[in-house]
Amino acid sequence: MVRLQPDPFLNELTNMFERTTEKGSVWVTLKHSSDKSKVQRNKMKTAGEKIEYRCLIRATDGRKTISTVVGAKDHQRFQSSYATILKARMTALKKRERKDKRKAADSDKKLDSKKRSSAAKKTSN
Amino acid sequence: MVYIASWDDFVEKSVQLFSSDPEKTRYSMKYRHCDGKLVLKVTDDKECIKFKTDQAQDAKKMEKFNNIFFTLMARGPDADISEVGGKEQTEAHPAKKGRGRKQ
Repeated sequence: MVRLQPDPFLNELTNMFERTTEKGSVWVTLKHSSDKSKVQRNKMKTAGEKIEYRCLIRATDGRKTISTVVGAKDHQRFQSSYATILKARMTALKKRERKDKRKAADSDKKLDSKKRSSAAKKTSN
Repeated sequence: MVYIASWDDFVEKSVQLFSSDPEKTRYSMKYRHCDGKLVLKVTDDKECIKFKTDQAQDAKKMEKFNNIFFTLMARGPDADISEVGGKEQTEAHPAKKGRGRKQ
């Protein structure tokens, strides 16, 4: 588990997406965390200290794991960079083509019904 | 593993899960470029909800969802997600429209 700063983390995440283009998955996990162990947290609670929470982000490609912590102040900037990476990389998902398919299916049905009606007329005659 | 069919349901339940247990709730995303599949999972180690898709339009919805969760997780469960364009904002809209018509 490699702990990085937010910017190197984003660079490494981009590399992960590049490496898994042909094969493999990318997992990204978000968690609300104070980055302290339970013992430390309990101690801080009894001492009356305020525990600072941050967003822990982990990413893995099944082999290598990287992580970073983002605080309340920089989460907006991180989230926009992260969104840009995802938008650029998630290109394998299907685009909505149902409307085109439906039009094609309807036109096919019309042709079929015409053929059938013309065939029926021929047989009746 | 419960797969939820409706996107809005998934978002609502995820936010509820997080609010009920912010210490344990985590949000995972798995993307497979080779299969063109995206799976989202939110769990607090007691309950688990998932959403899977292969549609590009769901990736856009997921972006907004990411924004909501980044805000919640960085600031805490009491964070105001209406700035993110969360569901609370939709309640504010009808009031503004009313004022416009009276004028």
